[in-house]
Amino acid sequence: MKPGNHCLSERCQFQLNPRFREMRGEANLFRFLDRNHLFFRRRGFFIQGCGNLIRLQNLTKTFAGKDEVRALTGISLEIPAGQIYGIIGPSGAGKSTLLRCINMLERPDSGEVWVADTLMNGLGPQELRSARKKMGMIFQHFNLLNSRTVSGNIAFPLELAGTDKRVMRRRVEELAELVGLTDKLQAYPHQLSGGQKQRVGIARALATEPTVLLCDEPTSALDPETTSSVLELLQDINEKLQLTIVLVTHEMAVIQEVCHSVAVLEDGRLKEAGPVVEVFTRPKSEAAQRLLQGFLSARFEVSRQSPDGTLIRLTFLEERANQPIISKLIRSHQVDVNILFGRIDQMKGAPFGTLMVELAGPPEQKAAAMEFLEANGVGVEVMER
Amino acid sequence: MNSAALSMLWTAAVETLTMVGAATVLAVLGGLPLGILLAATAPGGILEKPWLNRILGTVVNLGRSIPFIILMVAIIPFTRSIVGTSIGTTAAIIPLTVAAIPFMARLVEGSLREVDPGVVEAAHSMGAAPGEIIWKVLLPEALPGLVLAITVTAVNLVGYSAMAGAIGGGGLGDLAIRYGYQRFRGDVMLQTIVILVLLVQGMQMLGDKIANRLYHRN
Repeated sequence: MKPGNHCLSERCQFQLNPRFREMRGEANLFRFLDRNHLFFRRRGFFIQGCGNLIRLQNLTKTFAGKDEVRALTGISLEIPAGQIYGIIGPSGAGKSTLLRCINMLERPDSGEVWVADTLMNGLGPQELRSARKKMGMIFQHFNLLNSRTVSGNIAFPLELAGTDKRVMRRRVEELAELVGLTDKLQAYPHQLSGGQKQRVGIARALATEPTVLLCDEPTSALDPETTSSVLELLQDINEKLQLTIVLVTHEMAVIQEVCHSVAVLEDGRLKEAGPVVEVFTRPKSEAAQRLLQGFLSARFEVSRQSPDGTLIRLTFLEERANQPIISKLIRSHQVDVNILFGRIDQMKGAPFGTLMVELAGPPEQKAAAMEFLEANGVGVEVMER
Repeated sequence: MNSAALSMLWTAAVETLTMVGAATVLAVLGGLPLGILLAATAPGGILEKPWLNRILGTVVNLGRSIPFIILMVAIIPFTRSIVGTSIGTTAAIIPLTVAAIPFMARLVEGSLREVDPGVVEAAHSMGAAPGEIIWKVLLPEALPGLVLAITVTAVNLVGYSAMAGAIGGGGLGDLAIRYGYQRFRGDVMLQTIVILVLLVQGMQMLGDKIANRLYHRN
C-alpha cells in the first residue's frame, strides 16, 4: 500500500491476504476454517488450550553482594498455553532472571511459580529435575557441548531421561529433520555457523517433548538474516507442536515478528502486559512508549511542514478502522489534514496501519478533530505541537 | 661407551620410568577425584560447600608447600607402613605420589573451572543431576585440559624423581649425581641429560597430540 492510503478497511485486509478471497466461493465454512487453520491461529482467532500454562505470582528476587541488586519486584504474570509470549525490556531490566525463575535456575526470594499444576518453588531437588525434563531452554550463546557432535548434543537430554538407544537414534533423526540439520549430525559445534548452532540448541531443547520452551535472547548473537530464519523456526514449532514459548529479547522487531503477547519489564518491575497489537498500538506505560519510540522512529523520520501545524501519529487497528475516517474528519471539522507518511505493518501476520498527519487550523478545531478520531477508535499520539 | 656404562644407563632409565609411570597413575587416581571435589565444592560450583572447600584447599596447599626432598624424608614412616621398606625404587613411588596428588588436583580443578558455565546451566535446565553434570558435562568438556594436566604432572615427576637418590630410589638423576658429579664423569652427566631431555620432550609431544585430537574448538 502506498503512503496516503489512510483507510485500513476489512477489504484491505483481504487484499493483503489472498487466501481470504477463497471464502466467497467456499460453500462449507468449516472446510474453509480447517484449510486456513494456521492462518487464523496466527491471528489469535483460536488460542490453544485457553487456560494459562504458567502463572507467576508476586515474584521478588534480590541478588546479594557488595551492592544489593533488586532484580525483580512483585512480578505477577500469566502466560497462556500455546502462545509465543515475549518478555522485553532494556538490559538490566530483569528479563533473563524472570525467565530463569520459571525453571528455577534462579530461585525467587518470594512469590510463586506455577507451571501447569506444579508449584515449581515447592519442589525438592529430584522432583525439580523431573519437572525440568518437561521444559526446554535455549540460550543466547547456544551452550552446546563442544565435546559432542550435533547428534550427541541432541541426544544429551534423552540420555539424561534414560531413553532406549534405538528410540534415541530415531528421535535424534526426527529432530534434526525438524530443524533442518540432517546433513550435519556428525559435525562438531565449532564447525557450525551461529544459526546452525541455535538450531541444534532448539532440537536439543525439544528432544524430551517439553510443554514449554524458554528462550533467553535466542537471536541476539545472530545476524539479521539468520535471526529471521531462527524466528521462523520457532514460529513453525509453536504451530506444529502447539508448544508454548516464552521468549526474552531486547529487540522490538523480534516481538513484532513472532509474539502473540508481550510483557514489558523495566527496573525489575512489570510495566505492561497484553496482546502485542494492543501494546504496540496503544502503549499505556512510559516504558513501552520508550521502547516503541526507538523502534518506530527509526522507521519514519517525519517533521512538521508548517510552523503552526500539529504533527500526530494515528494508529488503525484492524477491526475498528473500516470507515473512511479521514475524509469524514475533513468534512466535519475546520482543519486541513496533510498526510506525510503512512504504512501498514504486519504484527505477527496481522496488519495494523500507521499514519503520520499534520493538522492545521484553529487550536480548538484541532483538539476537536483529535477527539473525533479517538472516538472512532483510532489511536492518536501528538508528536509535535 | 662400554657395555657396563650402557647397562647402568639402561637400568637407571628403567628406574626413572617405573617411578614416574607408577606415580603418575597413582597421582591421577588420587588427584582427579580431589580436583573434582575442589571444583565442585567451590563457591558457585555444582555442589557448593564452602567449609569443605576451605578444608580441602588448606590440605592441598600444605602438601604443595613442603619441598619434595623434605617431604620424602618426613613421610618415611608412612612409606614404610605401605611398601614395607623406606629405601629403593618402589619406596620412592610413595613420596612421589604424595607430592603429585595435590599438584594434579589443582590442575584438574583449574581445567574443570574453565568449562563454560553456560553449558553447565544448560545441563541444569535439562534436569541433569550433579553426578551427571560431572560425568557427562564437566569431565568430557575438560578432557583436553585434563590430558595436558596429566602431562605436566608427569613431566614434573621426572624432575622430582631426580631427588629419589636420597632414599636409594635410583634413576637417571641419581646416576647423574653419583657418577657425573661426584666421580667427575662428564660423559655420564651428558648422557643422562640427553636422555632426560628426550624423555620430557617425548612426553610433552604425546600429551599435546592427544589433547589436540580431543580438542573440538576453534
